Amino acid sequence: MQQTDRELKKGSAELLILSLVDRRARHGYEIAKEIETRSAGALKFKVASLYPLLYRLEARGWIVGTWVEREGARRCRFYKLTPAGRKILAAQREGWQKFVAAVGRITGIENA
Amino acid sequence: MRDWRQIVRARLAQGEFEGAIEIEIAEELAYHLERRYAELLGTGLSESAARAAAIAELDGREWIETVRRMRRARPPAVVLGSSSGKGQLMAGWLHDVKIAWRSIRMKPGFSVMVIGMLALGVAGNAAIFSVFNGLFLKPFPFDHPERLIDVDETAPQWNLKYVGVSNYDQDLWRNGNQTFESMAFFTGAGGNLTGDGAVQRVRGARVTWNLLDVLHLKPAVGRNFSPEEDKPKGPKVIMLSHTLWRQAFRGDPAIIGKVLKISEQPYTVIGVLPAEAVLPDQVDVWLPLQPDPAQSTGWYLSGIGRLKPGVTVDRARADLRWLHAAVTVAKDSNVSHADVTSPILGPLRDRYLGPMRDISNVLLIAVGAVLLIACVNVAALMMVRGSSRAREIAIRSAIGASRGRIVAQLLTESLMLAVCAGIAGVLLGMGLLKAMIPLMPPQIPRWVSFQFDARFALFCIAITGAAAMIFAVLPAIQSSGVPARAALQESGTRSTLSRGRLFTLRSLVVGEVALALALLVGAGLVLEGFRKVSQVDPGFRPEGVMTFGVGLPGVKYNKPEQVVSFYDRLTAELRAIPGVKSAAVTSAPPLGGHSGNFFVAEGSRELGPNEKNPVVLQVLITPGYLETIGIATLAGRDFTPADGGKPDNRVVIINQSFLKQYWPDLKSPGDAVGRRIRYSGKDVRWMPIVAVVRDEKHYGLDEDMKPAVYVPFPDIPRTSMTAVIRGSVDPETLTAPAREAMRRIDADLPMYEVRLLSQRVKESLWARRGATWLFGAFSIVALVLAGAGIYGVVSYAVTQRTHEIGIRMALGARPERVLGEVLRGGMAMVGVGVLLGVGTAVATAQLLGTLLFGMSGKEPWIYAAVAAGVLVVGLAANLVPARRAASVDPMRALRSE
Repeated sequence: MQQTDRELKKGSAELLILSLVDRRARHGYEIAKEIETRSAGALKFKVASLYPLLYRLEARGWIVGTWVEREGARRCRFYKLTPAGRKILAAQREGWQKFVAAVGRITGIENA
Repeated sequence: MRDWRQIVRARLAQGEFEGAIEIEIAEELAYHLERRYAELLGTGLSESAARAAAIAELDGREWIETVRRMRRARPPAVVLGSSSGKGQLMAGWLHDVKIAWRSIRMKPGFSVMVIGMLALGVAGNAAIFSVFNGLFLKPFPFDHPERLIDVDETAPQWNLKYVGVSNYDQDLWRNGNQTFESMAFFTGAGGNLTGDGAVQRVRGARVTWNLLDVLHLKPAVGRNFSPEEDKPKGPKVIMLSHTLWRQAFRGDPAIIGKVLKISEQPYTVIGVLPAEAVLPDQVDVWLPLQPDPAQSTGWYLSGIGRLKPGVTVDRARADLRWLHAAVTVAKDSNVSHADVTSPILGPLRDRYLGPMRDISNVLLIAVGAVLLIACVNVAALMMVRGSSRAREIAIRSAIGASRGRIVAQLLTESLMLAVCAGIAGVLLGMGLLKAMIPLMPPQIPRWVSFQFDARFALFCIAITGAAAMIFAVLPAIQSSGVPARAALQESGTRSTLSRGRLFTLRSLVVGEVALALALLVGAGLVLEGFRKVSQVDPGFRPEGVMTFGVGLPGVKYNKPEQVVSFYDRLTAELRAIPGVKSAAVTSAPPLGGHSGNFFVAEGSRELGPNEKNPVVLQVLITPGYLETIGIATLAGRDFTPADGGKPDNRVVIINQSFLKQYWPDLKSPGDAVGRRIRYSGKDVRWMPIVAVVRDEKHYGLDEDMKPAVYVPFPDIPRTSMTAVIRGSVDPETLTAPAREAMRRIDADLPMYEVRLLSQRVKESLWARRGATWLFGAFSIVALVLAGAGIYGVVSYAVTQRTHEIGIRMALGARPERVLGEVLRGGMAMVGVGVLLGVGTAVATAQLLGTLLFGMSGKEPWIYAAVAAGVLVVGLAANLVPARRAASVDPMRALRSE
């Protein structure tokens, strides 16, 4: 899968980001990097695609960004899941699993 | 790094963002691009290629519009993660709590300091208040205690506030009043209980039959007295206290109907009192009073009345006064002195704990001051912290957090600090109360119980918490007015206090130094007062003296000669014990209670127009008593066995106060020897004075001595006396041989109230000692808090000025100069505080009242010592940050820019 379908990516992007900031807060670059690494390069987010998404999630109240300052380093903004976001994430995870399972049953692709 | 920001901002320009938001977004995206660029360089790309690839991340136009919409559309509550709905709000609050918890943990030093100060304030206050509450506020363990009042008679003409109620008056009041639901009277009665096993001294009360009804109580077992049983010469019936029943009779209900012998007289048990029947206090048995209104018995009863619902004490007082006056006018032949005594009513607690009220009030003031200092301190700390967070607040408001949002966050934070402090304070306070309870005097009535007052602890938490919140939020309200761009564009994280806020901060510190100083001066005065009291010459020598009570049953010892010969034998037996130097018997040892009489002195000075003949302490003693107790004879001789007992050989010994009261002109005590006095009244024999002795502090080291007359015991042979032994050995080792001596004379007699005289003296000072101790503890706490406040504020000021100090040191300023300057600034605050504190102390010292023990409250050396102490603490608190300032490394200070 060299180039993932654009629509699919957009629909699943929210789920990806929410998953990544579930356990710990991450900043935007880290999120992009993490998606790229974990998908072995299959999924890539540019600044132009990542940040509108982050801000949208934040506007919905699913994640929250806070500025963190560290000595000797530049200030950056960390995002973390809110309790509301956690509920959404759980629901989306379930929905995604059902979707994948359904697609799997139809296409015969085993769900890992 | 700066160019990435520029590049991003150039792109964002088309979105027409609000300035602060644009800066924020630019900073965030620039950071991303910078990292990306570095990453690309790492993969081996050329600088220009990497740069181009990074910039390509920003390609596209529509995303800027999305960002703009999202960042603008966001309502303030979105930071919370919510926009509407209750559950969402809750989630938002939880989020606040999380953030607050994080920020508390991020500054552990600060948090521990705030929590510690709040906890100290809460703990001290709650513990003291619990004592105060137990003593004065908490109702009695009776039903509707607010309707129960003390009923007594007063005799201002005799200089006596309380004289007790007479048989006649109790009957008159009980039956004639219209304002009381019921009214009961009682008096003490002692006896030796013999039954199965050992003899036991029991403390009893003779009560009117309705006392249980007045208290709204029911017998635990059996029945209450009946009105018939309370008639003169009524049957000998008895009710046992719950404690006696449990301890001596193992709680056996079959005790009802049994006959017990009290002082050789048979009494039938008719009931057991409930455990709540704690008034009269510390009593083992109740007997019916069986008062005869026709018999003139003098004034001796204590009274308790239950008001009808809605009746005020004033109305009840008017009611009884009217009744009393009506009878006085009628001149009933049975009533003597009815025109002298009149009813006096008041709250029960005031009657039984009066003298402690002063001390409690002073302690409450001290507690309030410490609470105030704690508040001030926390307020200062919060302000310091708040201003160091100005930038954070500016950012938050820049990214869309509303003022309300920020205030809510700060409130949550201070609330959490207050909660932590509250928990710590309550635990500490419970410990403190536990430590204080053993300090209570044994004479505190049994109905007083001390429980930790959680409600008051909550109140303290609320007050300090409120202070914390107000001062946490104040800077937020101020700084959210700061233009976001200005705050954000500041290069470092430094932020400085505005002049006005620094002034507020300094004023707070000055205020707490002043309060702490005033408290310390108060503590110094109280301490000095206590030292003075404990160094008062008691007029007797308590060391090595043991006392114990003896009560002879009137049935067995019904002739005066029997009583006299018993005590003669007892003193002889006691003197024969090895290690006993001397022994005697008295009706009232020092600190052992008052029994008064009125005397007329031959050729005494005329009383002033408004002067009353004072009540005189009358003490029955046997020969050798004065020597045993250590009262010095100024002139004359001690009693001999030949003195007293017959009308024609009556002699008396008087004390200095008596001499001063009646014959102030006599130059030497010796001149009084041979003069005569008599009891007031008609046809009473004159009695010659054989000696004048020094005043003893009979009523306590801090009380004035009354005129006193010592009378030979055989004149008025009482059955209940106190034996006094002076030992050449540790007097405690004399208890067993003394008991043996008693048994040799009468095996049925118990010893009771075995006490060392020195112990009596010590106990008499309990309240003062406790107050001194507590006051001292509080002022030390205040000083520590004030020191911490100074340290906090000066440290903060130094941190703020690190940059400036660095520049000046780089330009050649010497460290000593910097040190001196910081010290001067800090000590100026301390100095102003000290001056204000001295003023406050001078103005308020009189509040200490009796604790001053005659001092003016303006003793300069106490003020000087305390001021010096505060200055030293202030200096120490200043020195640490000042030295830090002097050791600023110019290079580092500048580089931090």
